[in-house]
Amino acid sequence: METTNMFMLFFLVLPVFLFNFHYAIKMNGQIAIAIFRMILQLSLIGLVLQWLFDMNTPWINVVYVVLMMTIASYSMLKTTKLSIKTFGFHIWLAVFIPHFFILLFFNYFIVDLTDIFDAQYLIPIGGMLLGNSLSGNILAINTFYKQIKDGEKTYYYNLSLSASRSEALKPYFVHALKSSISPTIASIETIGLVSLPGMMTGQILGGSIPITAIKYQIAIMIAIFTTRYLTAVLAIYLTRSRAFDDYDRLKPHVIGNS
Amino acid sequence: MIEYIDISKSYGDKVLFKDFNLEIKSGEKVLLSASSGSGKTTLIRFLLGFDKPDNGNIIVDDMTLNHHNLKGIREKIAYVSQDTDLPSLTTEALLDKIFSYKINHHIKDYRDNFLELSKTFQLGDQVLSTQIQEFSGGERQRIGLIIALLLKRPYLLLDEITSGLDHDLKALIMNHIVNLDATVIIVSHDALWKSESSLREVTF
Repeated sequence: METTNMFMLFFLVLPVFLFNFHYAIKMNGQIAIAIFRMILQLSLIGLVLQWLFDMNTPWINVVYVVLMMTIASYSMLKTTKLSIKTFGFHIWLAVFIPHFFILLFFNYFIVDLTDIFDAQYLIPIGGMLLGNSLSGNILAINTFYKQIKDGEKTYYYNLSLSASRSEALKPYFVHALKSSISPTIASIETIGLVSLPGMMTGQILGGSIPITAIKYQIAIMIAIFTTRYLTAVLAIYLTRSRAFDDYDRLKPHVIGNS
Repeated sequence: MIEYIDISKSYGDKVLFKDFNLEIKSGEKVLLSASSGSGKTTLIRFLLGFDKPDNGNIIVDDMTLNHHNLKGIREKIAYVSQDTDLPSLTTEALLDKIFSYKINHHIKDYRDNFLELSKTFQLGDQVLSTQIQEFSGGERQRIGLIIALLLKRPYLLLDEITSGLDHDLKALIMNHIVNLDATVIIVSHDALWKSESSLREVTF
């Protein structure tokens, strides 16, 4: 695919614009801006990645991956409406620990790289792990704290029965973890039947044979699953030490209202 | 013994308690029967540390309630809340969970005792296998009460536990509680509780 061929994409979106115009669906501006943003963002990322790949300096690659983790943590804090001041570092740690170590494990033992910080592997695989654990983590944290907040009386009742915070919190923890990982289990079950996953498609388009693409896909699915699980566990464990007061009550304003 | 000493509590502009004092001796049965909105439930929540007074102290068995001994104080108290906020499980699973907690683990015969008390309090034969949400409010109150009794803790806090029941059941439950060997705080509006002479009525 040459860059000039990309201009043909204009004709691919043209019908959408024409239909919108015809039916007076006032979304053309929005669509144009979205497409323009995408082109701009991806081009910039493309330039950065090209530079990173050309340099391929281990410490710069690591810094870049850590930066991606920081942005992901920030986005999680924003979506869950957790206070950045109170929980920022804890969430970052919950993202960093499993991602960093699983990433290195993956590169060393699964891909069998001599340079485990190789940009060609470190960055895209890091990105896939992050992208997939983000939603799971948001789900886990939201489920955990919302249940306690909305069912405050039941939580207090549990507390009166057990007298211990960790025992009273256990059912909420289990439920939060389950709701976080069950979408991944569902996608592991149906993968390949419903649609070809993006990474496989990419590899096949890039010239790999399907068997290679499938081996990578199996490996990445398992890595994603574990990362998502461990990130959710850590996020709840690390935040809950600061989310409750010394009387085991959920502090007000821990989690946003919407 | 439970002591409330110079308790003050306000919510916004509303002053709920100002220099409130109350002493409840061991073994005593106290009925809190102040008008609704006057803070009866709040007094119970103070004891369990679900709410903190703005000022004043709460003393349970010579321990001034604070975060160091709160756990120990909670271990002495069995509590039945106003809406009996039981988690959604079957009764049997709920019992198994409650008695798997470290502090309740020593109580082994809970299943048989539950069945016996559920017979006394006129719950059906299927009570163990039924989901908690499928019970009526009055049935849930009785299940909550039985659980509280099975915990065999020295203090019993009962918040409106007979509001959904007919007269005969109320009388039955009242009789049972009056004869318990425990310190009991009862919150109720009910005339039947007020007519019971062995209870000390506290209004404020």
